[in-house]
Amino acid sequence: MVNETYIPSTLEEALKIRAEVHAKPLAGGSDLMVQYRRGTGVVPVFPFPVMIISGLKELKGIKKEEDGSVVIGALTTSAEIAECEDVPYFVRKAASLMGAISLRNSATIGGNLGNASPKGDLPQPLILLDARVILESTTSKREILVDDFIKGSKKTDLRDDEIITAVRIPEVKYTYGYYRKIGTRKANAISKLSMSALLTLEDGVIKDFRVASGAAGPKIARNKDNEAKLIGKKLEDINSLTQDIVKTHDETISPHAMATWRRNTTSRMLEYFLSEVSKGGEGRIIE
Amino acid sequence: MSVTHIDDKIKRVDAIEKARGEAKYLSDLKFDSMLYSRLIRSTIARGRIEEIKVPSLPEGYYFISAKDIPENGKNALKMIADDWRCFAEGDVKYVGETIGILVGSDRGVLDKLYNEFEVKYLEEAPVISIDDAINNNVEPLCGENNVMCSLVSDKGGDINDALSKASEIIEETIETGFQEHVHLETNGAVATIEDGKYVIYASAQCPFYIRKSICGLLGLNPEDIVVKQTVTGGAFGGKEHFPDVLAGPLLVAESIIKKPIQLSFDREEDMLYSVKRHPSKVVFRTGVDSDGNILGSDIKVYYNCGAYLSSSYVVLQRGVFHANGVYNFPCTRIEGYGMATNTFPSCAFRGFGAPQTIFAIETHLNHIARKFGLDPAIYKKKYFLKKGDETVTEGHIVEDVKLPEMMEQITSASDYFRKSAEYGYGSGKGIGISFYNHGGAFTGNGEQAIIKAKLKLVKKGDKFIVLCGQTEMGQGFRTALRKIVASTLEVGMDDVIFDAPNTDMVPDSGPTAASRSTMVVGNLGYRAALLMKEKMGEENAEVEVQYEHPDGHPWDQKTFKGDAYLGYGWGAACVEVEVDKLTNEVTVKGIWTSHDIGKPIDELIVHGQVNGGVMQSLGYAAMEKMENKNGHFKQSSMSDYVIPTSMDFPKQEYFFVDNPYPWGPYGAKGMGELVFNGTDAAYVDAVERALGIDCKKIPIPVEDIEGLRK
Amino acid sequence: MSMIEFRLNGKPVAFDGDPLKRLLDVLRDDFNITGTKEGCGEGECGACSVIKDGKLVTSCIIPIGAVGGSEIITIEGLRDTEQGKCLVESFAEGGAVQCGFCIPGMVLAAQALLMKNPHPTEADIRLAISGNICRCTGYDLIVESILLASKKGEGLW
Repeated sequence: MVNETYIPSTLEEALKIRAEVHAKPLAGGSDLMVQYRRGTGVVPVFPFPVMIISGLKELKGIKKEEDGSVVIGALTTSAEIAECEDVPYFVRKAASLMGAISLRNSATIGGNLGNASPKGDLPQPLILLDARVILESTTSKREILVDDFIKGSKKTDLRDDEIITAVRIPEVKYTYGYYRKIGTRKANAISKLSMSALLTLEDGVIKDFRVASGAAGPKIARNKDNEAKLIGKKLEDINSLTQDIVKTHDETISPHAMATWRRNTTSRMLEYFLSEVSKGGEGRIIE
Repeated sequence: MSVTHIDDKIKRVDAIEKARGEAKYLSDLKFDSMLYSRLIRSTIARGRIEEIKVPSLPEGYYFISAKDIPENGKNALKMIADDWRCFAEGDVKYVGETIGILVGSDRGVLDKLYNEFEVKYLEEAPVISIDDAINNNVEPLCGENNVMCSLVSDKGGDINDALSKASEIIEETIETGFQEHVHLETNGAVATIEDGKYVIYASAQCPFYIRKSICGLLGLNPEDIVVKQTVTGGAFGGKEHFPDVLAGPLLVAESIIKKPIQLSFDREEDMLYSVKRHPSKVVFRTGVDSDGNILGSDIKVYYNCGAYLSSSYVVLQRGVFHANGVYNFPCTRIEGYGMATNTFPSCAFRGFGAPQTIFAIETHLNHIARKFGLDPAIYKKKYFLKKGDETVTEGHIVEDVKLPEMMEQITSASDYFRKSAEYGYGSGKGIGISFYNHGGAFTGNGEQAIIKAKLKLVKKGDKFIVLCGQTEMGQGFRTALRKIVASTLEVGMDDVIFDAPNTDMVPDSGPTAASRSTMVVGNLGYRAALLMKEKMGEENAEVEVQYEHPDGHPWDQKTFKGDAYLGYGWGAACVEVEVDKLTNEVTVKGIWTSHDIGKPIDELIVHGQVNGGVMQSLGYAAMEKMENKNGHFKQSSMSDYVIPTSMDFPKQEYFFVDNPYPWGPYGAKGMGELVFNGTDAAYVDAVERALGIDCKKIPIPVEDIEGLRK
Repeated sequence: MSMIEFRLNGKPVAFDGDPLKRLLDVLRDDFNITGTKEGCGEGECGACSVIKDGKLVTSCIIPIGAVGGSEIITIEGLRDTEQGKCLVESFAEGGAVQCGFCIPGMVLAAQALLMKNPHPTEADIRLAISGNICRCTGYDLIVESILLASKKGEGLW
């Protein structure tokens, strides 16, 4: 029962260890250290080699790119994301509501994606925004949609030689936005349900409409066909389409526990968002 | 050092060392060659043990179980009864029942061995819920009907006569769930031998309970064991009897191994394998006339006691004696049943059985008031108990009841009547109100007949040493008693010494429980100080005082008739909420309470007790959900069993009324439990009004509110 | 595996052992400083809070291997500084301490807040300590004690 542990000091070194022994990256520790804990005074035992990557400077920080997209290094903490004005509202808000301050100072975006918990706070807004995860190995570098990367509860498309190095959030213009997390309590809470939505209006025509639900099934729920029902329509068309859109979104989610509340609340929130949007007015975050 | 006065605002005597991180809690103590231990527990709710496969133990590692109890010992923990076994033998009765204790030097090795243990069972159908126990569909766990204890209380004539005259009988069942104490310091104890005597260090409320409970395991007398209380990081009843369950196996192990052994639970163990508040089911049949006036109430109280009696019979008694709340109905009959189930034994938790029935009667009366279109505050006020009124045990209320004044305080401060009328039912906003009480100290003549508390005060030069068994667990008694003694002696707080008890050094002043410490033992301190004042000229002096029962409080423990308590604390609470109809999230906008605690001994201490008790009560109603499936608790961590944070509830407004209690020090009476007893009902009332729903079961997290919405 | 070197309460120290050992256990068992408490073991309650490189973290979820090169401040390192003395004194004076088990972590949470924001509002304080669970006090007197510290300690932060 001796852990095989590595503490690489550069990304290059980390990628090499990852390729050779497939050591699992441990970033903030908020998921893995809890999952494999064995009690007071006892060293956690991991059934696989581990590399502590929290010192890798290459994976830290937030950059705004020329195309308007924002690239967030995998080791950026939720606290840093919550404070950065370059990061889109939905992601900042989700980051600011993740656990408690101390957790937000430890938990990283890479860890939150890699863990792929249905209750994770960041995947939901990232999927809403069509964010992509950047995966590197000694031989390759690829970018895939977060929605494709997370395959199910605790399942990802991460290959055993890859490390999550960053997340790229494309610039998404929106007129109306909405984000809600209902936690187990008012702070320091695990998500019981979350939802974000946005709608973009150009010259009175709906150009974009998206809605994503978290903690409502093994995967973040988005249905692009359902969203498309509003594209090209006008605000006054919304009311007549609301019931159908809400119903289809409801079919997209698949809550196991607390199903009635999760379904009803999701429907009520989406109905509320659409109803507020249909009233028009200044672009805003709908509270 | 200046002289301390009872009205001085003082700093708690333990605050600095705790805030500096210097106070030594159980797991901070290190002993030479100390070993660690883990309990091996039952993984099923009910069945026969067929085989215990002990892994091969390295040298210096031990597995101690029932077989290690010596011939002159008895495998029982002597609490109120002695049915709770130290080690399961032959069969197991609940998930988590101790089968043995694994001891050794390395916690990593212990963890590995722990995981290699294999116990084979022949499983039997368990009884889990109150309904399972009542329905009695499998082999009963206790007697013929799973009833472990029961009692009846009534007043005002035959209940069936009263109900037969009613124009309507309102039937309703109100339920409450498990509640976990979540003292921030988990349970822990160390056993060792000092000067040839067994010594137990424990994070505990009642050191004398421990030595009484465990001595029989080795055929010893209580005096053969020393119990030393360590700085205790919260208890709330969870460390009243439960430390016995740790100390018992440790003592047996110590008798064989003879080295210091620590047993300290991690949070998961403390959640899954410790006592809880009794879940309850209270069934009302209340007869009313056509205007809604109550003619009589027939109440059946069921508590889930778990597999062993522990303190359940006394908890049930308190539940029954508080089941008609702060009200005087023309006729009341209360039957109480403690149901045996294959769940972890339920035990003491702040309020000790009173919160469940008080929540039930408050909620029931709210529903009746609403049915007749009356404001619950006005409706309830009609029935407030008054001085001289008969109680459900045919005793009498001996003190002035200041509930009308308290109601005025909180309704004015909260603007209750305007809001109550304006918000109505279903507006998304609601304000709720509740009234409650708590009988101080032990039930009936328990103080006189069972406890017989003693306290000693010793003068050594300029210093005065208080010797008694009362413990500090966060509630502030170490400060309060020093303040009482110092101000009576007219000396400074620093001249009075009162340390954590060591059972060899102090007389038994009874448990630190039942809101009795200030009221009963505080008064012993006061009386001892008065006697000591006569000896102030002597260099060294000593006085000892014993509890004296005030005259005129008859009690018959066989029939449960008479004055069940020597006095009550009283409370009133208002809670205002807004509920988000999209999500059912409740936001509390205001909390107003008023309490009659006689007279506060120290402003800061009582302020802290009110805040903390009210917050636990709000957590109980709003979010603290502990479920049990097949005998296993489902919530095992502080992330899935959530208790309030600093963001969940706003700053509280609080009031007191002045109502000095004649037999308490400086007029003080019990308060530690009172402050838990009622805010839950005010919260639920407010949520019901905001959403226009009826709630008959707590807690009510968002998902459970959903089922109540139309 | 080489030694893990870091600064603990202002002094350079080194740890030689399993890099996955929890920082909490290293502090309590290897350095014998027990002011940092274990309340839950999963980063939920804040009793084991320490300040790592200026930020509040829970030491029960941090492997010591992630601490190399860092500066760790525990209650033992804070309590005798001017800021620490002000906090401890204000907690005592304001009635913030009951059972005390959450309090060292709470003092560190207050310190982390005041380092960023020396004049917090009640709401700022409630947010800053929302990861530190207290079962005794209902928080009101803790909040008031931190307000008191920010006033009494004017200029310290």
